Amino acid sequence: MIEVVDLVKHFRAADGSAVRAVDGLSFTVAPGEMVGLLGGNGAGKTTTMRILATLLRPGSGTARIAGYDVGRDPLSVRRRLGYLSATTGIPDRLTPRELLHSCGRLHGLDRSAAAGRAERLIEDLALGDYADRPCGRLSSGQRQRVSLGRALVHDPPVLVLDEPTSALDVMGSRDLLDLLAGLRAGGRAILLSTHRLHEIEHRCDRFLIVHAGRIVDQGTRDALVAGRPGGLEQAFFAALEAGVGP
Amino acid sequence: MSAVTGIAAVARFQLRRLVTPQRLTLGLVGAAFPAALVLAVRRIEPEIDRNVLVALIYALIPEAVCMLGLLVSMCPAVADELERGTWPHVVVRPRGRRSLLVGTFIAAVAWTAGIAMVALALALAAAGLGGSPGLAAMFAALIILSCLGRAALFALPAVIVPKRALVASVGVAVVVEYLAGFLPAVVNQLTVSLRLRSMLVDWMAWRRVLPAEFRLIIDDRPPWMQIAALLLLAATLLVVATLILERRQFPPSAES
Repeated sequence: MIEVVDLVKHFRAADGSAVRAVDGLSFTVAPGEMVGLLGGNGAGKTTTMRILATLLRPGSGTARIAGYDVGRDPLSVRRRLGYLSATTGIPDRLTPRELLHSCGRLHGLDRSAAAGRAERLIEDLALGDYADRPCGRLSSGQRQRVSLGRALVHDPPVLVLDEPTSALDVMGSRDLLDLLAGLRAGGRAILLSTHRLHEIEHRCDRFLIVHAGRIVDQGTRDALVAGRPGGLEQAFFAALEAGVGP
Repeated sequence: MSAVTGIAAVARFQLRRLVTPQRLTLGLVGAAFPAALVLAVRRIEPEIDRNVLVALIYALIPEAVCMLGLLVSMCPAVADELERGTWPHVVVRPRGRRSLLVGTFIAAVAWTAGIAMVALALALAAAGLGGSPGLAAMFAALIILSCLGRAALFALPAVIVPKRALVASVGVAVVVEYLAGFLPAVVNQLTVSLRLRSMLVDWMAWRRVLPAEFRLIIDDRPPWMQIAALLLLAATLLVVATLILERRQFPPSAES
């Protein structure tokens, strides 16, 4: 459902030099699979996700969502992709109901279909208590739920979620990850990034550890931590050290 | 159909952003300014010629008020989304970029034209021209055409240099509209100000009484051709801006 092959992306730095943000990434995420994309700041996670979300064009290599190339057919990709940015970016003056309705309209749903979809998401994501309160008055956790609703408004089969739990407390994180588990069980392919490894250690099917735009290790949690005490976090540091080289 | 619903959704959303008590207050203060100036002029010169008042209202409303209103409402089309972190969530939608630009264009034109119409009603009353429906209709048309043309013009800086759009648009207004627009050369054919001026001169039947040097900065073609040229220019600018926006990429660091 997500297929990435030899993906490369450069940015031009302020001094004119080229910065290789993504350096030959290849991976897949199958339907019904949740994959964690792990890495430090500047590792290339957000750039990779933004390429998948058609916000950035790949420099070279290919990325496909549900069989559609992100560079050649971005419209088809956008119809099948739910994207959650690390910045919540919710308009303060709109209520969750209005926001979900607007997003439905942006996806081309007619008025009644957009309203119906908004109602469904309000119910599924338990937004009912604050569905008619301006988003500016919601807590971080509530805003993140609304943001997830925005990503799901067109019922996409693929989800790309950039640090979905970053603004949440422990309870909020658990609730959100439970929600994602439900979406995965429904057959969605989910790629998510986070810095909070302990939260997703036992939630994701596989992990990709990236450093300087490259995958330095990947596999299931058990395969990554095999023979190492300290769980995923130790495996992560070991992979980074090996990736950096001597 | 989905393109239209997307544009309508953005336009509605942007209008909600613009119709706030603070912005409305600011807009109404701006709308009262031309009337105040007309009153001041009439106080100094009670027997002032009607044509001078018309020219003054033209300079103040279809030119100044419309320009300022569009600087506030059209220039931040992309910058606002980047700053608020809503950019990724809008453009990840099918035709999200196009909807963002055209929806913001519609909202900017509607808001600015609304403020300019209030300014017009006040200014005509202050000028003692309130009983001239023909004059009011002419200015209303000039306001709408000014808003359409200038909003499309400001769409270019908004997508090319989003974070400097306001400064760039002021530069465009000065260089294109008020320098190139007054050059008696082919380049002024590509300006909104030439079209508006020429329509004003035609509709006010000033062409015969205009001094020869002023005729150089007026186009002789009939008003319907001025309107067609202006709408064509606006459509072209908007299409170019949309094409540029479709290609724009902002690294994550551009959002703040």
